[in-house]
Amino acid sequence: MSFRKELADEKVGSLPLRDAIAVDGHTVVRAAVALMRSHGLGCTVIVDHHCRPAGIFTEQSVIRMLVQGVCLDTTPVSQFCDPHFFVLRTDDPIEKAWEAVTRSGARFLCVTDKSGELIGLTGQRGLSEYLCDTYSQQVTVQRLGSAPWMLQREGA
Amino acid sequence: MSDEKNYRTDDPTDHLSDYEPVDYTDPVRQRLAEEPVEAIACQPCMSVSPTTTVREAIETLNESEVSSLLVVQDDRLLGIFTERDVLEKVVERYERVAHHPVEQFMTTDPTIVYSSDPSAAAVAAIAVAGHRHVPVLDLNDKVHGITSPRRVFEFLDAVAN
Repeated sequence: MSFRKELADEKVGSLPLRDAIAVDGHTVVRAAVALMRSHGLGCTVIVDHHCRPAGIFTEQSVIRMLVQGVCLDTTPVSQFCDPHFFVLRTDDPIEKAWEAVTRSGARFLCVTDKSGELIGLTGQRGLSEYLCDTYSQQVTVQRLGSAPWMLQREGA
Repeated sequence: MSDEKNYRTDDPTDHLSDYEPVDYTDPVRQRLAEEPVEAIACQPCMSVSPTTTVREAIETLNESEVSSLLVVQDDRLLGIFTERDVLEKVVERYERVAHHPVEQFMTTDPTIVYSSDPSAAAVAAIAVAGHRHVPVLDLNDKVHGITSPRRVFEFLDAVAN
């Protein structure tokens, strides 16, 4: 089966999902940043009162905010939403996630269930892990680290 | 005796005589295994010197709409300063550290790939090691560029259709 066909046949629900941090739009930036740091995640998802995604605050938002010199303690995250905001359902094809990342430069993709409620995040990392699983014979044998391959090999 | 004899494929001492190249049916698999990292787009790539201030580095990230800066001196990679470094080490005390040099906050000894590595090495660095920005060096350890998930996906997308 070709890679394109796999992307079209498989569902977003089968991608590795990460737990999302959900906040409401009034959450101040300092609190959102603290949550992102404690979860080791590059974004928080702004949700409405039905837990449906309404926007996303990312590391890129943090950069814009610092350049504009706004106050972390009074500025709500909703003022610095990232324009790359995509919502996918678990039964969407993975192809849709692939397109969002390659064509639109999205880094994070919010994933919802059929009712539209946020259940997790995927994106560049999830798709990279999917690639790694699909082509494990090629990917998992690769050298990792900062020393050249020939310095790590024994003998020869 | 001719040197050519050593390369005869029917030589019984030639242990590679029954070697057959892999016959790939999937072009993505072939690309990952056989094409080098340098075939993936590694430019544009923004770099700064280690003495650049944190404020200047953040302004560069914002103006250039990139997520990382290579910290380079004399063509040698010293580290990488990314949005994640800003989140982890800078944002909560920005006014106090804005004038400090970026070398105090960069990630040192980042995972790198060489331009001659198979392109699958870039996927491994991203998916297995979990790094979103992977500096690419040439075999003289000089900076060649940077790769990222999006660049890898675009590289594979070209043959996936």
